[in-house]
Amino acid sequence: MADETYDGPILEIDKLSISFFTRLREIPAVMDFSCTVRPGEAMGLVGESGCGKSTVALGVMQDLGVNGRIVGGSIKFKGQDLGAMTPDELRNIRGSEIAMIYQEPMASLNPAMRIGKQLMEVPMIHFGTSEKEAYNRALEVVTDVKLPDPKRILNSFPHQLSGGQQQRIVIAMALMSKPSLLILDEPTTALDVTVEAAVVELVKDLGKKYGTSMLFISHNLGLVLETCDRICVMYSGETVETGKISDVFDEMQHPYTQALFRSIPLPGADKNARPLIAIPGNFPLPHERPQGCNFGPRCDYFEAGLCDQTQIDMYPVESGDRHETRCLKFKEIDWNAPIDVGKQTEKPAPGDVVLKIDNLKKYYEVAASALFGGANKKVVKANETLSFEARESETLAIVGESGCGKSTFAKVLMGLETATDGQILLNNSEIQDTPIEDRDTKTISNVQMVFQNPFDTLNPSMTVGRQIIRALEIFGIGETEQDRENRMLELLDLVKLPREFAGRMPRQLSGGQKQRVGIARAFAGDAKIVVADEPVSALDVSVQAAVTDLLMEIQRENKTTLLFISHDLSIVRYLSDRVMVMYLGHVVELGTTDQVFQPPYHPYTEALLSAVPIADTSIEKQHIVLEGDIPSAMNPPPGCPFQTRCRWKDQVPGGLCDKEVPPVRILDGNHQVKCHLSDDILARMEPVIKIAAE
Amino acid sequence: MDPLTWTGSIGTVLNPIFLAVVVLFVFTLITQFLLSFTAPPPSITVNPDGSAMSTGGTLGMMGRVNSYLFLGILAMIGVYMFSGLVTPYGTGGIFGEIGARLLPVWIALIVTFVLSITFKRKLGLYGKLFDSMIGMIGFAIVMFWVFVAVFVAFDLVVTHNPLDQISGMKNKVPGTPMSSAGDEGAYPHYLLGGDNLARDVFSRVMQGSQIVLIIAPAATLFAFMVGITLGLPAGYYGGKFDTVLSFIANLVLAFPVILLFFLLVTPEIRAAGIDFGFYYWRVPTILASILFIFPLVFLVLLWNSRFFTQPSKNILYIGLTVLIGGYLYLALAWDADPFGMISIDQNVLIVFVAVVFVNSPTVFRIVRGLVLDIKTRDYVAAGQTRGEGAWYIMLWEILPNARGPLIVDFCLRIGYTTILIGTLGFFGLGLESESPDWGTTINAGRRLLGIYPHPAIAPALALMTLVLGLNLLADGLREESLKD
Repeated sequence: MADETYDGPILEIDKLSISFFTRLREIPAVMDFSCTVRPGEAMGLVGESGCGKSTVALGVMQDLGVNGRIVGGSIKFKGQDLGAMTPDELRNIRGSEIAMIYQEPMASLNPAMRIGKQLMEVPMIHFGTSEKEAYNRALEVVTDVKLPDPKRILNSFPHQLSGGQQQRIVIAMALMSKPSLLILDEPTTALDVTVEAAVVELVKDLGKKYGTSMLFISHNLGLVLETCDRICVMYSGETVETGKISDVFDEMQHPYTQALFRSIPLPGADKNARPLIAIPGNFPLPHERPQGCNFGPRCDYFEAGLCDQTQIDMYPVESGDRHETRCLKFKEIDWNAPIDVGKQTEKPAPGDVVLKIDNLKKYYEVAASALFGGANKKVVKANETLSFEARESETLAIVGESGCGKSTFAKVLMGLETATDGQILLNNSEIQDTPIEDRDTKTISNVQMVFQNPFDTLNPSMTVGRQIIRALEIFGIGETEQDRENRMLELLDLVKLPREFAGRMPRQLSGGQKQRVGIARAFAGDAKIVVADEPVSALDVSVQAAVTDLLMEIQRENKTTLLFISHDLSIVRYLSDRVMVMYLGHVVELGTTDQVFQPPYHPYTEALLSAVPIADTSIEKQHIVLEGDIPSAMNPPPGCPFQTRCRWKDQVPGGLCDKEVPPVRILDGNHQVKCHLSDDILARMEPVIKIAAE
Repeated sequence: MDPLTWTGSIGTVLNPIFLAVVVLFVFTLITQFLLSFTAPPPSITVNPDGSAMSTGGTLGMMGRVNSYLFLGILAMIGVYMFSGLVTPYGTGGIFGEIGARLLPVWIALIVTFVLSITFKRKLGLYGKLFDSMIGMIGFAIVMFWVFVAVFVAFDLVVTHNPLDQISGMKNKVPGTPMSSAGDEGAYPHYLLGGDNLARDVFSRVMQGSQIVLIIAPAATLFAFMVGITLGLPAGYYGGKFDTVLSFIANLVLAFPVILLFFLLVTPEIRAAGIDFGFYYWRVPTILASILFIFPLVFLVLLWNSRFFTQPSKNILYIGLTVLIGGYLYLALAWDADPFGMISIDQNVLIVFVAVVFVNSPTVFRIVRGLVLDIKTRDYVAAGQTRGEGAWYIMLWEILPNARGPLIVDFCLRIGYTTILIGTLGFFGLGLESESPDWGTTINAGRRLLGIYPHPAIAPALALMTLVLGLNLLADGLREESLKD
């Protein structure tokens, strides 16, 4: 146990290098990484997947597995070298002095043990406290993480809690022993935005309350801005820039940091006037890193003969507070040069209505068991009275958290399910009752889909070309094999992939490239309507911009209607013309992008806007944290679906929210809101996001 | 002719050395084990060039000595086995001469391994097998028996006709010279002795591999066809169809396998059937005609789902399948080959059908489980939204991605089937009593096991090594298919 009087840095990492050894070669995962975390400080570790940020965390825990090994540098925790400790000493520190929170809460909890037992284990093992004391401590921490009814929670099993609650328990477990250092490895990635906002808020508060230092690993710059004091930007195994949040965000001194900020959709970016600038090229594989600067081949400021020569060290930036950058040219680059605005395009005028949804309902009957169904059937109302129109070459965003019914809607539209009631008019023909087997080829090829998970969207055992050709065959395009082959190559050109990729297997492609193939496949039959189900959410930031732009470009050329399903409001604001917000199967708000992102809001939209982390220091946000979780669709609340979490509920007289589902109200400019709030309250709403005066 | 000893004249020199090395090896192994409790563990240092090196003190040295001793043992076993190739007849003893008889098998094995290892990067999962020692050993053992079965067909490995009885050779120990001078050029010894009907045990074991290696993989393949054709729709559609099929599968699985076999292969059941007046539909034919239709259905669905957009190709593939498959189906299941060229021994058929019948429910369940997992993937949804037929999605989108576990199970299942056929033979069910297959031979040798163990031990060892090889191969495949 470290002595109590220690007041130096909690964690000092000095020139740390970590490698993994395989049968073929050594793979350096982290190179020359240095950082210092002082007591009570929160350090953010940001980078794309594969940049080594999780390896650093595992290195601190000294848990690199059999083939991982620290090959240089040192990690000091409260002045003691962790590398020199025996397994026994390490075991003492882990869980008591250093605690770690992982991405997947369900995987961090033992599903066969009650929550209380799992929490009580921590002090009982580390400090030998009695069962009674441990129980009291557990009760205290569970109250601290703001879980309702702590006694009941302690007595339940992990699967009885929701994802957000589970993550709170994991946080509680980490705090059981009052650790000095808390490592959070993407703690909210698996959660919904509003739940994420609540968990982040909690982590911040607890950090202050317990005085814990934090190492916060994330790929989301906005989240780091909200939680951390200092930041470390990593690229391909190296820190490229480190410093105070305000220094790095506002006075960045490394081209990668700059490129990263330019590729994420911040308020103000617009797909026509100010398109995102994607970082060209691909992330280098660990064993294919270039000589000299790792970012060199993708850098705008690259200078042959300088940047590709030797190993580059970290250079301190004079103006900042412990602000360092790994760039040889940071003094020469004019960091305030105006952004080279990319290709500007005219906003295409929306054409005729191609898709009209009228009062669409989709209910599922859930029986208790398949064989002996019995009488107690439950009805899940997945979609409730959906009505909207979509025009040619328009982007309509469908926004909502998991369970809001957006995927069900996509299924009904595609014909994988048939509607319970209502109409879907595609080019004036009703398709809501026609399952996909009965649709004609033209209808099928007209409505296509781009899927979310790039690692799942392509069949792993078929070549890329074969999969596109199959779509062409099914859509009856091309007379001969040769025709289809040619058309397939054209489609690869369309999505800007080299033609050689036709013969590759999906595993040889990166995530972004796979997603491009998915887009090519969707456009194989000249689709008129493309449903994009979170097409970029699983991609790295720098790739997201490129894929989004590609989608926009194809849309512009083909005059496609894009139904963009997402929970990420930043990207929605960037690319959509109109936005539809869904909650528990209801459309709660529908309007143009400006209407939805400006007051008056539906209370849910307001909370959603506030929950989305924005990586811009000049933005002021109102903090609205939703209490509780999304109710189950099996058992929705009576009246307004949002009433259980609404902060405006008491403004509505007569408890109307509990009794009646609000009617759809049409505000100025065909802006629809489903809420009981009176007009003057709606008019009084303040904008959630304010750009501070410059 | 003198009788052969096990190791021949080489043994007089080599045997004491061999024994000494083995004893030393066992000794160092035990010391190493005991030392590992006290000695410091070997530390690993990283060299500047990036390679890692283990520098262990006493333990590391012990480890090295151990591996040298083990290599020495292997080398001496090699000398025993291959001495017969270069020395005059009889010098290498029984081991040497068996090694010499198996020369074509050794050559084929070496060629296979050299080719496979040279091109392993281009050979997919098969190539990756050669990255795993366990997999390679398993593959070598399996291929050994495959090549034996192949070369036996060319009359290369066996020394005598496996059915010939030579007077005076009854129950003779291994290495006994032929009693009567016999024909000129006949092989002068019974290498593994004679059985109680004075037949050559060595030749019978080698010949028996043929029967085992034809029936077991073929029956397993048919079981897979049945299991896949039913398991895919059960997992994909779910619902009542799945419930009913799973229930039937459980029913078959719940019935004691051996009892089921007894029932299926007893003459009474085999003679039973349905009398249509013009045709008497016997139980084996009923089962065969139902089970053998599945491969046909499978292939037709496979072609049709993929090529229905190109009618000319579709008709060609389906036509060929129906013609060839239909012909085989008539000949094998109904014993009604219109040209009278192909027929299957009814004894073999019943064993075959019984094995397929008990294996397919397990395969069904594995396939169903895999489908339940894979059908949630986006590429399946992509196929559905593109308007693909259900069978295309099952056969071309789901099945290829379930191949890893299925291949592994296939190897394991050939092993079980081999044992199953052996068990059947041991109970004297199915095949004729003179058949050289291993199960029947073990059963025949069982009666005099106390006095003359060799006629039973040789086929038992053969059975054991083949199944061991298949299990190792499956392990290797599983290990390699999980990587990447």
